[in-house]
Amino acid sequence: MTVMKNELISRQRRKALGMMGLSGAVSIAGLSKSVASVSVPDSRVRDGQQQVKAQSSGCVPYMGLHQAGIVTPRPSNGMVVSFTVVAPNKQELGRLFRILTNRIAFLTTGGVLPEWDPKLPPPDSGILGPAVSPDHLTITVSVGASLFDERFGLSAKKPLHLQRMWAFPNDALNAELCHGDISIQFCANNQDTNIHALRDIIKHTPDLMVLLWKQEGNVAPTTYNAAHRPENARNFLGFRDGSANPDAADEELMNKLVWVQAGSDEPAWATHGSYQVIRIIRNFVERWDRTPLQEQEHIIGRKKANGAPLDGGESEHDVPDYQRDQKGFRTPLDAHIRLANPRTAATQENLILRRPFNYSNGTSKAGQLEMGLLFICYQANLAKGFIEVQNRLNGEPLEEYIKPIGGGYFFTLPGVVDKSDWFGRTLLEG
Amino acid sequence: MKQQKAILSLSVAIAMQLTTSSSFAAVSPMDLVPPIAQYKLYVLKNSNQLLKDTEQFVAAVRSGNTEKAKALYPTTRISYERIEPIAELFSDLDSAIDSRADDHEQAEKSSDFGGFHRIEYALWVESDTTKLNVVADNLLRDVRDLNKRLATLTFPPEKVVGGAAVLMEEVAATKISGEENRYSHTDLYDFQANFDGAFKIFSLMKPLLGEADQKFVKKTDANFQNVFDTLKKYQTKGGGFESYEKLTERDRKMLASRVNTLAEDLSKLRGMLGLD
Repeated sequence: MTVMKNELISRQRRKALGMMGLSGAVSIAGLSKSVASVSVPDSRVRDGQQQVKAQSSGCVPYMGLHQAGIVTPRPSNGMVVSFTVVAPNKQELGRLFRILTNRIAFLTTGGVLPEWDPKLPPPDSGILGPAVSPDHLTITVSVGASLFDERFGLSAKKPLHLQRMWAFPNDALNAELCHGDISIQFCANNQDTNIHALRDIIKHTPDLMVLLWKQEGNVAPTTYNAAHRPENARNFLGFRDGSANPDAADEELMNKLVWVQAGSDEPAWATHGSYQVIRIIRNFVERWDRTPLQEQEHIIGRKKANGAPLDGGESEHDVPDYQRDQKGFRTPLDAHIRLANPRTAATQENLILRRPFNYSNGTSKAGQLEMGLLFICYQANLAKGFIEVQNRLNGEPLEEYIKPIGGGYFFTLPGVVDKSDWFGRTLLEG
Repeated sequence: MKQQKAILSLSVAIAMQLTTSSSFAAVSPMDLVPPIAQYKLYVLKNSNQLLKDTEQFVAAVRSGNTEKAKALYPTTRISYERIEPIAELFSDLDSAIDSRADDHEQAEKSSDFGGFHRIEYALWVESDTTKLNVVADNLLRDVRDLNKRLATLTFPPEKVVGGAAVLMEEVAATKISGEENRYSHTDLYDFQANFDGAFKIFSLMKPLLGEADQKFVKKTDANFQNVFDTLKKYQTKGGGFESYEKLTERDRKMLASRVNTLAEDLSKLRGMLGLD
């Protein structure tokens, strides 16, 4: 008799839980207000390293004209994951984007996980505990050129410059680390927040996409000092990285450099999207560490200690004057920063918004450190942005010490503007 | 007659186990008896087949008939792969029969690397079976031992039901990459057998699932069908399979996705039946 009663309870309980599962993220996200202190993000800060870990209940809104994770502050931990879509048709691709939207809504807002029948696998990995904290998590969804092949009938809608990344002269691309139908960028204060989000998304989409490759990285949080402009984190070559990044807080500038605008040559659905470039760039750090300091500084074009330009100044925020150094006596003509950004009127349109992380992946077969830069950048025009800049960099002396091995070109979808909206809607319905 | 007796004693064992351990049972313990008994018959049938096939395989290896041994290798493994979740309950035998080179610290050079994959290595890579008599004899001894142990095993219901998911987890984690039969590339035989084994369990348990679970049943049936259809594309005229290297990247991804989905869905089967 007891057994039967328990059976009944278990059945009903499962039914209720099952229904909860159907309504999915929406009902769970509804609970979230009690946990997450939904604050207006400090997105106007130029870069996000000064975010301190104590703010981990902070929430970066996922909703907006543009996706979060591009001009919003960069937290300490980043991860890029690429997927192959196996959805059989356009309708199922739409289902994938809707699921992603629901999961992103929940994961970036946080909430308390529902109670669960212990006889069933839990719906959540539990690595953030029973209350999921948003931790400034942003999840940014982008699509690769391969999504526009014959499978979904989207070929006429491919963004103008989107293409499969090809190898530049110094690249040694590893096919297992390249391209993909969809890329998802995760950024959060803590690494486990990104991993939790990834595992959640994988658990919800096994029939629609398959993992292709993943790269994690992080940057040291720099201390905030009200008296000074924040300093950029150092890369694994020991130099400050991002000094000449355009100001992400400058909306007008971002509209010009980062976001596809209405009335451009791009398909209308792509408005408010952006081109994303991912490059996994291995650094040969042992060799770099055996290179004389002055040579390192000439290769990069900055002082290693304080990031100042080689023609003077005291910090990375000082601007080099190449006009007065046309022969390259102070800053060599082939120094990395000089080639990347010659600071002429004409090259202003080639500026890109970088959001890199350092990665460290164990050791190489040769017994050297396998580490480098998870380079991520955004621009409104891929040809004028990354591709033009990289073409200028081809053959630079720094190439002796770096080797791009993976990554891809993607197009970051426009943002979701309200609760009924979903990522990719303008692409699939437009 | 002997089999009927076996089933009867088995049913009693299950009933006792269930009434003591599973107070949350969503199905009556007695309902589980017939499918578990049928599954036991399935396992025993495959175990007997495995023994018969292994005898021939080992004889071919010992006589130095490598062509014949190569031909028998993938088909001999089928009955083992079908019943893997149960065979694995004897972990000593499983590692002796089916471990791979990377389960051993010195890989192929390890002195304790034996079983099917050691012979596979000798057949396809070393092209030399002259030093394999001991390995072959041990394999036959272990398969015989497994056969004996299975005959007297009381099948734990949660292991049987959970076995469907276990098979999918194994394919998802270490087989879809083609690393199981890395020398012979006969992985598609193993795949078919693993899916057969999981589908058997699912089919036997299906009638016990209620109205509320019919969506799951439909979806899982469709996913199995999808996998079987994909595998069929690679079937050869004689009923065998093409080399795993022939699998297109897209089919590999498609299989991976179905396996992941089946693993995700079948992971709930135990709970659905109220088993611990």
